[in-house]
Amino acid sequence: MGLNPQELNGSLIVIEGMDGSGRSTQIALLQEWLESEGFSVQTSGLRRSNLVGRDIDELLAKNAVTRLTLALMYATDFFDQLEHRIVPALRSGALVLADRFIFTLIARGVVRGINRDYLTGLYAMALRPHLTFWLNVRPETAFAREFKKAQAISYWEAGRDMSLSHDLYWSFVRYQTMIKRELESMAKKNAFIELDGEASVSAVNKQLRQRIGEQLGIRASKYTPSSALAHLWR
Amino acid sequence: MENQDTAVKAPPRPDASKTTLPQPGRPVPSRAYPGALIVVEGTDGSGKSTQLYLLKRWLEIGGYRLHFTEWNSSPLVKSATRRGKQKRLLTPTTFSLLHAADFADRCERQIMPLLQGDYLVLADRYIYTAFARDAARGCSHRWLRNLYRFAPVPDITFYFRAPLEVAVDRILSGRPKLKYYEAGMDLGLSYERPESFKLFQARILEEYDKMVDTDNFVVLDGTLPVNKLQKQMRDIVASKIDLKRFAPRAPCRKMLPSPRPPIPKPVTLFSANRLWASTLRS
Repeated sequence: MGLNPQELNGSLIVIEGMDGSGRSTQIALLQEWLESEGFSVQTSGLRRSNLVGRDIDELLAKNAVTRLTLALMYATDFFDQLEHRIVPALRSGALVLADRFIFTLIARGVVRGINRDYLTGLYAMALRPHLTFWLNVRPETAFAREFKKAQAISYWEAGRDMSLSHDLYWSFVRYQTMIKRELESMAKKNAFIELDGEASVSAVNKQLRQRIGEQLGIRASKYTPSSALAHLWR
Repeated sequence: MENQDTAVKAPPRPDASKTTLPQPGRPVPSRAYPGALIVVEGTDGSGKSTQLYLLKRWLEIGGYRLHFTEWNSSPLVKSATRRGKQKRLLTPTTFSLLHAADFADRCERQIMPLLQGDYLVLADRYIYTAFARDAARGCSHRWLRNLYRFAPVPDITFYFRAPLEVAVDRILSGRPKLKYYEAGMDLGLSYERPESFKLFQARILEEYDKMVDTDNFVVLDGTLPVNKLQKQMRDIVASKIDLKRFAPRAPCRKMLPSPRPPIPKPVTLFSANRLWASTLRS
């Protein structure tokens, strides 16, 4: 892509973590906080590209796709967002909050038996985030949170395509543990900042604001969410 | 079908079940499946599709077990590709990735299962199309080679080479209007579509030529008469591939060879070939 990192004025902040680790809650809160501090914020996440976001949703719903094809569709989705959303935003000096990044995509492929070097080579030209947070929770906690959200666990969240267990709970726990191990193995090399996802929303948020504040050179001022987001503040 | 009888017999293939494990001191075999893969490549208008069709008819009439597959034919990513092209959303990277996803689908569902099931697979365009076209668009060679390293290496790759003017004339006279990406308009080579198409095709041709040696292409002259070219192609196929393997089988009397046949060990996409490793060495 011939990208010169010097051209990018903004910061790329990634939040990784399994389903139910509280990523989307934290991103909603961070966006509000950053906007109130006067920063322009752009978000990105899996399956949100204009190019193939909806197609992946359809493939997942029909469950009519093999693992390598799915991995490459996710890669297409990622690079479309990178080239059309993330890089332009960074170039204009905006701050990008990414709800998961290449790390989850690589972990998902690796646990499904796709060659690790293949996947890292595939994403070799992705940007290096300025900060990567990892909300670490136990799969058991994540299961409870996810179940509470929808009163159900989806086929893909539970990794049912991997035939780990016919029991939904064990399938979820085993699958998410495998993903967690993969992320753990990437943590050091990619300078993940590990946060305890079991802690309360406000405690996690405080830590996030502190680190992001350092990165941006602002003081992590006191923050209480507006009434629109107050229900997230537990 | 005289060619088949006079064919030089190819050396026997390694037994799939015995060669999947690499052994110290011995080179890892390039293939771990019993089927064979024949590929045609070349720029648009080089005559490759016609020739592959004739080859397919020849083999079909002989009753051989074969499967024919085309580049960009799966319904999986059709809507995404169409949308991307209409709205011109595609960059060189996403263009390449969408086609790779499409190919992966075909590879996982058809090509690999059929090669392992002892089929002769004929492919109209293969990964080399992506290597040539996407490199012409500016993707890195190394990235592209990695992207497709799961693909089985063809037994024969026919490369139909036609001079640029001939190929471009064949296309331009047959089509009223060139499409945006087809003409390589996204590269900004020229405002005129025919001119852009010509420049784009020249780059693709250059990329193809670079692969002749590294990827063992069998180069055929696309300007020869159709029947002469087909004769050459059939001779090469008969000499390089043990076609008898794919001849019609006698009906099986006994359903299973033993009361409890062993469950065969699978060959995975990444263990099946050594294309990537050979690329790194060169």
